[in-house]
Amino acid sequence: MKQQMRLITTKLAMVLAACVLMISLSFNYALSAGDQVLRMANKYGDAKSLDAHRATGSQDRLIVDLVFNGLVCYQPGNLSVDAIIPDLATEIPSSKVLDDGRQQWVFKLRQGVMTHPYDGNPGYELTSEDVVYSLQRAADPKRSSFAVDYSGMTFEATDKYTVQVTLDQPISAFLFLPKFANRGGGLIVAKKALEDKGDDWFKTHPVGTGPFVFKEYIPGEKVVLTRFDKYYKGTPKLDGVEWYYMPSDSSRELALQKGELQVIEGPKEQAWAEKVASYPGVVVDSPNSAETIIAHFNMTVKPLDQLKVRQAIAYAISRKEFVAVYGPKVSSPIYGVAPVGRMIAGLSREEAAKENLVFEQDLAKSKSLLAEAGYPNGFSLEVFTSESATYRRAYELLQAQLRKIGIDIKLSVVDHSTFHARIRQNLDPIVFYAAMRPNPDVILTQFYLSDSIVVTGKKAITNFSHIGEVDADGDGQIDSLDDLIVRARLEQDSTKQVALWKEAQLELLRKMVSYPVIAIGYIFARSPKVDWGYEMITITDGPNPTEKTRLLP
Amino acid sequence: MSPVPISYCREHGMLKYAIRRILISIPILLAVVTLIFFLVRSMPGGPAVAVLGDYASKETIEALEKEMGLDIPIWQQYLVFLRGLLSGDLGKSLINGMPIAPQVARVLPYTLELTLSSAIFGILFGIPLGVFTALRRNRMFDYVGRTLSLAGISLPSFFLGILMMLVFSVKLDLFPVVGGGDIRDPIDSLHHLFLPGLTLGLMMTAYITRTTRSSILNVLREDYVRTARAKGMRERIVIYGHTLRNALLPVVSLIGVYAIVLIGSSVLVEIVFSRPGLGKMMVGAIGRRDYMTLQSVMVVYAGLVVIINLLTDLSYGLIDPRIRYD
Repeated sequence: MKQQMRLITTKLAMVLAACVLMISLSFNYALSAGDQVLRMANKYGDAKSLDAHRATGSQDRLIVDLVFNGLVCYQPGNLSVDAIIPDLATEIPSSKVLDDGRQQWVFKLRQGVMTHPYDGNPGYELTSEDVVYSLQRAADPKRSSFAVDYSGMTFEATDKYTVQVTLDQPISAFLFLPKFANRGGGLIVAKKALEDKGDDWFKTHPVGTGPFVFKEYIPGEKVVLTRFDKYYKGTPKLDGVEWYYMPSDSSRELALQKGELQVIEGPKEQAWAEKVASYPGVVVDSPNSAETIIAHFNMTVKPLDQLKVRQAIAYAISRKEFVAVYGPKVSSPIYGVAPVGRMIAGLSREEAAKENLVFEQDLAKSKSLLAEAGYPNGFSLEVFTSESATYRRAYELLQAQLRKIGIDIKLSVVDHSTFHARIRQNLDPIVFYAAMRPNPDVILTQFYLSDSIVVTGKKAITNFSHIGEVDADGDGQIDSLDDLIVRARLEQDSTKQVALWKEAQLELLRKMVSYPVIAIGYIFARSPKVDWGYEMITITDGPNPTEKTRLLP
Repeated sequence: MSPVPISYCREHGMLKYAIRRILISIPILLAVVTLIFFLVRSMPGGPAVAVLGDYASKETIEALEKEMGLDIPIWQQYLVFLRGLLSGDLGKSLINGMPIAPQVARVLPYTLELTLSSAIFGILFGIPLGVFTALRRNRMFDYVGRTLSLAGISLPSFFLGILMMLVFSVKLDLFPVVGGGDIRDPIDSLHHLFLPGLTLGLMMTAYITRTTRSSILNVLREDYVRTARAKGMRERIVIYGHTLRNALLPVVSLIGVYAIVLIGSSVLVEIVFSRPGLGKMMVGAIGRRDYMTLQSVMVVYAGLVVIINLLTDLSYGLIDPRIRYD
């Protein structure tokens, strides 16, 4: 009896194991059956908003860029303004200054561009009505996160395929075109879809004219897009794109190794890139981006209100050590707030050196400056950092470097959302900020204009240093860059404009308002079967498939 | 175990007891809901800042907070939430405007199948292992069992999960890494459930093995066991008829507690295995400061804990007839 029972149990176990094996193999076969669906994963837990005018986070931008078009667009894989080409517009517009001093730009629209089908509606031809509606929406702070970029602009449809943009104050093409490109608020939405279904619906059902049609959003899991057969540039080679939300780095790596995903985002660390590159069948790409890490000194906090103290800190920082920590293939030192080689008007080392404003690590000089400021034995400062590895590493390194000159940084860690909230409440004496901005004007406006000062500014955003409302150099006068920033913005001559932007950056260094540390690139790993269909030089939020992207057999 | 006859329920006042417990649960749930509501809102950084990110200027934050309905006094928000909750409406996500109840309904089965399968796995393997290790006390089988159960308790679930994926998904190519499968398709669902269920199940097995072992060892020292043996009863009857039933009472009580631990651990397992579930939903909501979603998920968790506690208490009577519910 006992033996019989054992035999039955053994047989049952074997049958069960065989069933599990067969089911697994058949499923894996189904998964590996060669479809043309590109499966990608990012590190985020979920989407925030898929509305083109509310999508500010990388996880959302990566999706809306596939669903919508701008009037103009950056060439795929190249974020240089020189690389902006016509998209929904037939040509790059030119401007004219009107008699009343205002500036006018005219966009001629491409004919026959179709919107995606939505909720039973088959889609329709995009016209100037959609474009004007879209731009007015982008300029409305109640419906758009990018409204500030469009203040002082009016939009008018002069015929079915012509849109006129009028600016209260003239700006150069260099500043104008990015506002109408496929970044920020320049994406064109389908007016009828929004009017039919409303803003709330649109947050999770984007309808545009891009190469991929939104199919499904499963909160916390994935967004599914399918190819748009009527895409005006031609039917995409991919059948679809699936974006997965996978916060676990290890899970993304394993899914890539197994072939369930073809592209994954990784931490911006060379060590990770080297590890993943060693896996069989995995390729790592690290294109440049214009993302920078800059230390902003809060000049309302003692003793950071003293120029000599800030200079002492600057001389204690070693950019080389930062590059070593983030990895030389991923990061490079920067000497101005616009990253050299990655953005127009980037300040080079030579240009900073001419005015003795490089601030290479010099501990003797640093200690001497501290002593002159009345702190021969240093001081202590309570600082907090985000839990995000990019930020935490920067703060920990700063802590180690400043310890050498007697400055004791008492570091506490908070979650990323809390960090963003608290730095905007003026609570951190030193703010490391990692960000990518499209041009020097946006950097200078958001971080150094007096209107942008956190808490007190009229349009408070990210001026953490308080330049514009404090005496930065101790001469008894309030120091401000407002005039220089506005002059640069309105300058029509591109050479003069670049010179003004560089001068503003030098002024920031003279007053040691903030310390430009490094520029960091983007890292992602992919299957070698992914053919993007374009060369990747600089990217912003991550890699974007286009209508030319395909999966090789 | 056979269904409980109504006569039994009447005789033991089980129904009355269950109703009383459910009624007591209402003020407890209300207190929990209130605590959750205010705790969630005490987190620094609001949903508007989380949504706007780098574009969070004073003007845009104020506009978005108004759109989200966060500009009204907090007590009004609380009343709106309570009113909605009483009518079964969990509200809409502050971030994407989607109704929360259907989202919870979609992911809850994934969390339930994960925790239930792990609990069943743990009971099926943990109780026999506990009995065997107890009966072979201080012998090789006992040492191995105790060491393995200690490892099961000590290994973090996310680490065990990654090891499982590395071996069974990447190396052996047997199970998927991403997702929870189609819940309507039992085979696909099981295929996706196997590894996460095993990960949590091993942890549950470890807990139950240790509890069962110590409980059996305690009961084996009781006089009635000695008497049964002295009367010449067969060892099998002594163990399974007299010892195990009496040893199960503390085990059942702790299974209830472990089931609650299991629900907590499922959060990490859902993240590691990229499975849909309440845990993943909760973590996403924390990152986005989506108060409405977060408080709704927490309320569901609190409800689950109350239900598990109630079931545990009710199950005592089935195992131990001495327990009265009046």
